[in-house]
Amino acid sequence: MQFSKNWLKDFVDIDISTEELCEQLTMAGLEVDGYESFESKITGKDAIIKLDITPNRGDCFSVLGVAREVAIANNLKFKLPNIKPINSSIESPKTITVCPEAPVYAGRFIRNINLSIKTDPLIAERLETSEHRLIDPVVDITNYILLELGQPLHAFDSDKLEGSLRVRFAKESEKLTLLDETSISLSKDCLVIADKKKSVAFAGIMGGLNSSVTSKTESVFLESAFFSPKVIRGKARRYGLQTDASVRFERGVDFNLQELAIKKASMLLSDSVGGNFGPIQLVSDKKNLPKKKKITVSLAKTNAVLGSSISKVRAKKYLTGLGLSPELKNEKISVLVPSWRYDIAIEADLIEELARLEGYDKLPKKSLNPIPINNSISPKEVASNFFVSLGYNEVITYSFIDHDDAGLVNKDSSSLKVSNPISQNMSVMRPSLWPGLLNTYINNLNNGNSSQKIFEVGSTFSLSKKGVVKETKKIAGLIAGNNTPMHWKGKNKIYDFYDLKGHVENLASMMKVKISFEEKTTPFLHPGKSAIIKLHNKKAGHIGALHPDIINVKGLKEETFLFSIDLDALHNDQSILYKKFSRFPASQRDLAFIVDQEVSNDEVMNLIKLQGGKDLVDLIIFDVYQGTGVPDNKKSLAYALKWQSKERTLIDVEVDGIVKKIVKSLFKELNATLRT
Amino acid sequence: MDTSSIKKTALSAISTSSSIDVLENVYKSYLGKTGELNTLLKTLGSLPADKRKAAGQSLNSLKKEIERSYTEKQKILLNLESQDKLRSDRLDVTLPGNSSDVGSFHPVTETLNSISAFFQSLGFEIASGPEAETDYYNFEALNVPADHPAKDMHDTFYLSNGGLLRTHTSPVQIRTMEQQDPPLRIICPGRVYRKDSDLTHTPMFHQIEGLVLEEGASFSQLKGLLNDFLSNFFGQEMELRFRPSYFPFTEPSAEVDIRWKKGWLEVLGCGMVHPNVLDMAGIDTKKYSGFAFGLGVERMAMLKYDIPDLRAFFENDHRFLKQF
Repeated sequence: MQFSKNWLKDFVDIDISTEELCEQLTMAGLEVDGYESFESKITGKDAIIKLDITPNRGDCFSVLGVAREVAIANNLKFKLPNIKPINSSIESPKTITVCPEAPVYAGRFIRNINLSIKTDPLIAERLETSEHRLIDPVVDITNYILLELGQPLHAFDSDKLEGSLRVRFAKESEKLTLLDETSISLSKDCLVIADKKKSVAFAGIMGGLNSSVTSKTESVFLESAFFSPKVIRGKARRYGLQTDASVRFERGVDFNLQELAIKKASMLLSDSVGGNFGPIQLVSDKKNLPKKKKITVSLAKTNAVLGSSISKVRAKKYLTGLGLSPELKNEKISVLVPSWRYDIAIEADLIEELARLEGYDKLPKKSLNPIPINNSISPKEVASNFFVSLGYNEVITYSFIDHDDAGLVNKDSSSLKVSNPISQNMSVMRPSLWPGLLNTYINNLNNGNSSQKIFEVGSTFSLSKKGVVKETKKIAGLIAGNNTPMHWKGKNKIYDFYDLKGHVENLASMMKVKISFEEKTTPFLHPGKSAIIKLHNKKAGHIGALHPDIINVKGLKEETFLFSIDLDALHNDQSILYKKFSRFPASQRDLAFIVDQEVSNDEVMNLIKLQGGKDLVDLIIFDVYQGTGVPDNKKSLAYALKWQSKERTLIDVEVDGIVKKIVKSLFKELNATLRT
Repeated sequence: MDTSSIKKTALSAISTSSSIDVLENVYKSYLGKTGELNTLLKTLGSLPADKRKAAGQSLNSLKKEIERSYTEKQKILLNLESQDKLRSDRLDVTLPGNSSDVGSFHPVTETLNSISAFFQSLGFEIASGPEAETDYYNFEALNVPADHPAKDMHDTFYLSNGGLLRTHTSPVQIRTMEQQDPPLRIICPGRVYRKDSDLTHTPMFHQIEGLVLEEGASFSQLKGLLNDFLSNFFGQEMELRFRPSYFPFTEPSAEVDIRWKKGWLEVLGCGMVHPNVLDMAGIDTKKYSGFAFGLGVERMAMLKYDIPDLRAFFENDHRFLKQF
C-alpha cells in the first residue's frame, strides 16, 4: 500500500515531518517500507509513503484507515470529508438480489456519461503515486475510492447487462472471461454477479469482460458491495488473481462503508463524466452481516500480561480513540468492536491494542530469572566435536536434492518428493546425506581442493508403503585425497578405507558404544569395499568406498570414502563402573597363520577369542602379508596375544597349552597353519 | 721417595684430559690395579722400616690429591659433555608439528550453539520435531486456518505424501506443549523451508524458536529476555526497538529491531502466545501465560561474522568454511 502524504490531510490535520510521521506509523504497527519526497503539481510539497500492511489490518488498506491511526497517534480529530449528494434524475429498474455471503449491495445507474474527458489531475496524480495505471475516468474513480476508503467498486457497462442482477454461487465449471481476458472455470464455492443470462463478474475479485466499460460505454451500473471475507478467501490464490479488491475483501471491508463509497464516487463522477444518475439502490440483509462483537478486557489482566501499569483513564482514552466506545464496569472495560476492525475478537486483541497505544517501547523490561536444569551434551555435539578435531569441515547442504542423485542412493520408489519444487535439482527430500556431501566435495575439488574431510548432520527422509514419512537424524562424512597434505616430515599417504574406518571406530570407542562391521553393501558404495556399521549389535549405518560407476558418472579420479550413522543409535546409556585390573605379570605370544585369501580377520579373531580362555586380555593383528614365503591364494595374518590373570602369575606351560588349542582349532575350522 | 715428579705429570695429565675416556685412562695409569702409584704402594713393604712410614704418608697423600683432582676434572668434563649433547640435540622448533588440518564447524552451527548456550544458562531445554510436517502443526494449531491471508506470508513447499515442509520451527512448540505440562522453557533450533530463492532468500534456512510458558510470564519479561540475549550475542549492550506487528500465533505480537549502523534492523519476531494456540494445545490459560520468539540463524550469523551473502552458507566453499 502506497499513497501520498497530503492525501491523509483530507482526513486529519497533521503538520509533522514525513520522517516523524513514518516513525509514528511504524511504531503503531504499520511498518513503513520507505518514503520519498516529491513536489505535487496541485498540493505542493508532498511525499510518497510505502506501507507494509500485515494481514490482520485490512482496515489500513486505505488512506482513511491510515488517517485514523495517524489521528490517534497525534491526538487529533479524525474527520470524514464532506460529500455533496448527487440526486437522482432518472428512474431505474430494481436490479439487485443478494445472498447471505453478500449481505450489503449498493448500486446505481448512471446514463449518458462522457468518457472522452480527462481524469481530474489530482485524482490522476494520486493514482499514479499509488502505482495505479490510469485507464478511463470511470475506472480511475473506482480505483480512487478503493484507495481512499478501502471500498472496492466495480463499474459495469449497463447496456451489456441483460435483466436484473443477482449475487449467487457459480455453477460447477461455469466459464467466465475476466477483464484481463483470462478465461477461468469456476467451482461451486465461487461467488459471482450474474444477470438473467450469464455471470458478469467474479464477485470481489474481478469483473467480466462481457460487461466491461470501454471507450464506447455510455451508461454504467456502479457496484459497491460487501462480500464476506470467508467466501473470498483462498479464491484469488486458487486462480492466481490477487487483485486490489480481493486483498481487501479477504481481510475484511468495513460493512458500513458501501453507501458512503457510492455517494463519494457519484460526486466525483458527476464532476467529471457527468450523466444522469438513478437512485442509489441499497440492499442490506442485516441478519447476515458480521455480528457487532462486545468484548470485555480486565485492566488487571492487561497489566499482568504486559507487566505494565496502564491506568483506567488512559485505557479508556486509547479505546475511545480507536472508536471502540469503551464502558467501564468495576475493574473491567467492555467495548463494542467497530465495523472496520476484523482483528479484534477476544480479550488478548484488546490487550494488544492497549499495548500498541501505550507504546511497546514504554512497556518496562524485566530480566528472566534463570532456572537450573541438567543439560547433558548431546551425541550430535559429541560426534561433531570429534570430527572437527579430526580435521573435518562441517557442511550444511540442502535437504532437497536432485532427482537423479536420489536415484543413485535409493533404487526403490520410497523417496519423498517435493510437489512444488524450485527446480528439478531440488525436488526430492534426500534419502541420504551422501549426494550432498559428494556434490560439495566435487565443487571444492573443482576449486583446487584435492584433499577433503567433510561431514554433515541432518535428517534424511523416506516414505513407507502406507505413505508415512520416516525422518532419521544422521551424521555422515566423506574423505578423499591425502591424509598428510604436504608435510616436511613425511610422505603423502592417500586416504583409504581403513582411515575412515579408524575414524568411525574411534568415535564409537570415545562414546563407549560397542561397534562392529559386517561385510554388506548398499547402493552408492563399492560392493567389495563396503560394510554395515553396527552399534550395540544393531545396524546403524554404512561405510565404504564410492561406487566406481558413480566415480565415472561424476568424472572423478580419486577414490572417495563415505560413512553414515544414525544419530539415535549413537548413545550409551550404561553408566561406567570401575573394574579391578590385574597387577600380575602378563604372558605374551605372537602367532602368524597362513590362511586362504577369503578368510577374514574377524573369523580368525573369533576363533582365537573362543579358545583363548578368560585370561586372554589383548588380541591385536599386527601384520597382513602376501608374497614371498606365502603360497599363492594364501595370506599370512599375524597376531599379538596377551594373557593376564587377576588372581595369579600364569606359567608358561599353561599359555603354551592354550596356544596349542588355538592352533588346532584354526587348522580344523579354517585350514590355517602356523607360519614358522 | 720422590713423588713430586709423579705428582706433576699426573696432575698435568688429568688437567689436560680432553674427554672422560682420556681422563679414565689417566686415572687407571696411576690408580688402576697396575697403575704407577699402586705399583709404588706395593713396593712399600720392601723399604726399610724407618723410611716406610714417610714414604707411605707421601704416597697416600699423593693418591688423595690425584683422586681429588680426578673427581673435579670428571665433574667438569661430564658437565661439558652433557652440554655438548644438549647442543647437538637441538631441534628447529619453528618447523610445523605433526598434525593434519584443523576442521571447522559451519557458521550456522557456531551461531546456533552460541544462541543455545545463552538460553540453556537460563534453564531452556532444547526441543526438536520433524521437518516434514502436517498442515495441522504448521498452520492450523498455530491459529492459521485454511485460506487465511496469513498463509500468504509463507510460501510453502508441499510434499508428495500430502504433508509439507515446515515453514517455521513453531510446530515444535505445539508438539512440546502436547507432550509436556507447563511450566516450560524450550528452544527449538532447526531447518525450515520457504519457496523463495533470490539474493536475500534461500529455500532452506535455520530458525531458533523459544517458548516460555509459566505462571506470570509477561511481555516485560520477553522484552528483558530479548534485550539480555541480543546484548549477550553481540557482546555489547544493544539498543532494541519493539514495534507492533502481526503473527497469527501471538497476541500481542512484536518485531524487534536493533540499532545497527545508524538505522534500525529487524532481527526477530515475538509475542505473547495467542490464547487460541494455548487452548488448542490444552493449556490452562487461567493459570499459565506464555511468550514466544523466533529468529533466523543465518541472519544473525551474517551480522556477527559480517557475511554479505546469504547463499554462501549453503555453497560450502572450503575457503568460506575454514574461516570459522
